[in-house]
Amino acid sequence: MAGLWVIGEVTADGGLARISTEVATLARTLAKAADQDVTGIVVAADPKAAAAELATYLPRVLALTEPAAADHAWAMIAADRIAGVLEPDAKEFIFVGAGPDGRDVAGALSALTGWGILANTTAAAWADGGPTIDMSVFGGKLTTTSAFTDATGIVTVRPNVVTAEPAASAGSVEDVKPVGDLKQPVVSVVERVAEATAAAPIEEARIIVAGGRGVGGPDGFKLVEEIAEALGGAVGATRAAVDAGWIPYAQQIGQTGKIVKPQLYLALGISGAIQHKVGMQTAETVVAVNRDPDAPIAEFADLVVIGDLFEVGPALLTELRARPGSG
Amino acid sequence: MQIVVLVKPVPDPAAGGERLGADGRLDRAATPAVVNANDEYALEAALKLVEAHGGEVTIVSMAPSNGPETMRKALAMGAHRGIHVTDDALAGSDHVSTARVLAAALKDLEYDLVLAGADTSDGLAGVVPAGVAALLRLPYLSYAAKIEPDTDAGRVRVRRISPTGYDVLEAPMPALVVCTQALGEPRYPSLKGIMAARSKEIAAKALSDIGVDAASVGGAVATTKVLGSTAPPPRAATRVVREPPDVAAREVVEFLAQRRIV
Amino acid sequence: MLRDAVRVLADEQIARRAAEIDKTAEFPWDVKELLASHDILGLPFPTQYGGLGGELLTICLAIEQISRVCATSGLILAVQELGALPLLLAGSDEQKERWLPDLAAGRTLIAFALTEAEAGSDASATRTRARRDGDDWVIDGSKRFISQGSVADLITVFAVTTDDSDVPRHKRLTCFIVEKDTAGFGVERIEHKMGIRGSPTAELSFRGARVPDSHRVGAEGDGFRIAMRTLDRSRPGIAAQAVGIAQGALEVAAAYANERKQFGKPIAEFQMIAAMLADMDAAIEAARQLLYKACTEIESGAADAARWSAMCKLVAGDTAMRVTTDAVQVLGGYGYIDEFPVERMMRDAKITQLYEGTQQIQRLVIARALVPK
Repeated sequence: MAGLWVIGEVTADGGLARISTEVATLARTLAKAADQDVTGIVVAADPKAAAAELATYLPRVLALTEPAAADHAWAMIAADRIAGVLEPDAKEFIFVGAGPDGRDVAGALSALTGWGILANTTAAAWADGGPTIDMSVFGGKLTTTSAFTDATGIVTVRPNVVTAEPAASAGSVEDVKPVGDLKQPVVSVVERVAEATAAAPIEEARIIVAGGRGVGGPDGFKLVEEIAEALGGAVGATRAAVDAGWIPYAQQIGQTGKIVKPQLYLALGISGAIQHKVGMQTAETVVAVNRDPDAPIAEFADLVVIGDLFEVGPALLTELRARPGSG
Repeated sequence: MQIVVLVKPVPDPAAGGERLGADGRLDRAATPAVVNANDEYALEAALKLVEAHGGEVTIVSMAPSNGPETMRKALAMGAHRGIHVTDDALAGSDHVSTARVLAAALKDLEYDLVLAGADTSDGLAGVVPAGVAALLRLPYLSYAAKIEPDTDAGRVRVRRISPTGYDVLEAPMPALVVCTQALGEPRYPSLKGIMAARSKEIAAKALSDIGVDAASVGGAVATTKVLGSTAPPPRAATRVVREPPDVAAREVVEFLAQRRIV
Repeated sequence: MLRDAVRVLADEQIARRAAEIDKTAEFPWDVKELLASHDILGLPFPTQYGGLGGELLTICLAIEQISRVCATSGLILAVQELGALPLLLAGSDEQKERWLPDLAAGRTLIAFALTEAEAGSDASATRTRARRDGDDWVIDGSKRFISQGSVADLITVFAVTTDDSDVPRHKRLTCFIVEKDTAGFGVERIEHKMGIRGSPTAELSFRGARVPDSHRVGAEGDGFRIAMRTLDRSRPGIAAQAVGIAQGALEVAAAYANERKQFGKPIAEFQMIAAMLADMDAAIEAARQLLYKACTEIESGAADAARWSAMCKLVAGDTAMRVTTDAVQVLGGYGYIDEFPVERMMRDAKITQLYEGTQQIQRLVIARALVPK
């Protein structure tokens, strides 16, 4: 009978990545529906803290101490070790986040095990001995439901698809020592650089305020930042703004940037061309401010203000700051 | 330097005609194909590297029989030659098959770097390059914002984008690097490049040429299957607000409050 | 791919200049620089001279895409090809070495001077003469309606070189290259035209203009034949311009018809408008396919190249005139004012029925091919 696994991702300071709390919640729900065991696994140089936190979501967590993970790239090492933990003929389903680290470990693990991948889950259920996974395709025009053809598979889960919910009681953590040498070549991490402008991964934000070409320049983005702050959200941007150098690429949303699913997407001076739309159209609520009533975004937003964002924006700030309990 | 770039022809997202075929898989014939946008960034990075260090760029694509049409665009940007892996048995291939086939195609090639785009606009999974690296036991450096090879020492340094900034990774070459948009805008092919691309070589390779058993890949052995599909519920009609800024701002905040966002 | 690359360039960089070029009637040096820097002017020239070695079809694809947004701009490439064809077809290696590299790079422009006030359709009625004087030729006469004659660095001139009545009329012409700073060469006037207003159409005078014999292209008496062979290859370029103009007009008309609402719906939904648009589209496609076919036939050295060349130009020119007239009709009153480009396109289209051989001449050429020898 198949079991479920959750790969816990570790942040730079040794804590558990937020996405893993969501993935764990999803896997636990599926395990209950399937009447299966669910186990977490954290691979790190010092997995204790992350494993303990993951154990508040799962009944059992393996904490695998791998010293090489201290200053080497994580994903290949994790895939190497996790493949080693799995039984040779295991029938398992593995769940991991769909961010860069999650994708890397999913891809490597798939090659090492021969198991398939269903990526970018937006909803999951259990049927016929395995998970059924919903995915949004064709830029949001279609949602497909897929399953694995065997009783094995790897599932990657997008941020904000599931609200994390700790289990009723904390589970147990088991220490695991790695067996044998790493088979995959390791890549040294020579330096970890923190940048002042770096924000929390925008895919995790519940509210995103994004600026496009209409913002006009880096000064214009100050308004976007202020509105984001007033709403407690993150700042996003279109490719035009990033290409113009007004804002870093890490905040770009769209076809060649990030795909986001926030509760609120507030688009300022964004036309809503398809390459951008693809990145945000599954947002729950879309509000746009644009001078052009014929801009594509006016068609798929829930509410659009036809106006100058440099007039509407400050007015919006005033309103938000005036609300009780704000600021 | 010898650089291989993995290039995938994908349905043109701007054309908007994508649909699933009868088997539940992407109908690749429905829309004209273009080079996957992220692969263009990888290709641009490769071209800049050989311009700086000398050498050549080979593109490798696993694609249906019309692959060369799209590969010509990559050649027009400046790649020197192409390898087109194509075989009827590959139809319906999943990530597992794709990684296996690409790894097999790379096995006979000599290179310092393999570059790949972060994900594809048709699949968006972003998992195949990691699989290829694992199969070939290549050092794997992903989400690169900067690539700095040291050809004398035979090592490469990569800046990997991280949530807090970036990590500097280093590994011996040959290595596989996954590229991001941060590496720089892809060039438009010049007319000279377009004309020159007509006579560049695209070598076709069938599965037997790269030592892959046709029975081990393709739709018949796919690890996933599509059960069904639905169109998402249509959004309610857009509410258009044309009031002066003060009034408009109030309406927006009320709207957000109704939806319990503020 | 090349068609797309040129289309993108035309849409992004040339389209916005079209109205201004027409209004000011100034030669768009910036567009010429753009075409040169993107190697587009290199298309007609062999790679060994720095060109792109494009086939006739490739050159026409580029002319078509540029003409879609600006007929004057499309003409820059067409004239560069036209003026250089005598050199390409009949020039010596030294002549090619000397002049082609700069032409291919777009550093110099070349014009084709055959037409005269009294020698339009009847090219053999040429009166400009070239008299041998030692190692030189001295040219006297004038040429009329020479496209880009006032901005070209080189002029390909056809002059009568013998009065011998035993020599048949069509063997009395010789072809020469005259550089613009040659003493005795001048620009007399620029015409004010109905259309392609940014392309200067000049009257050129030759008063004792002296050129060395090394500037003679082809043998003495070869001029007419060189001119005819040139036109066989250059007429498709005009057909391409015509197809481009028509396509541009159709796109404006179709977009307008889909937006403009009368009687409660877009006028494109009314059958009379829809039928017009459909006829326009079909006619353009037919002209286009004939053009492409003609290009491949001519490029492969077909014996009846003249017939193909004449046919594609005849059909494309008439199509452009009809389509642009209909485009104005679709736009109604708005089509008549310069707020929309179709009135300019209609004015631009007319020339394609007139130059590089009138439609009547094209018909003569085609009919000749039907007469058994």
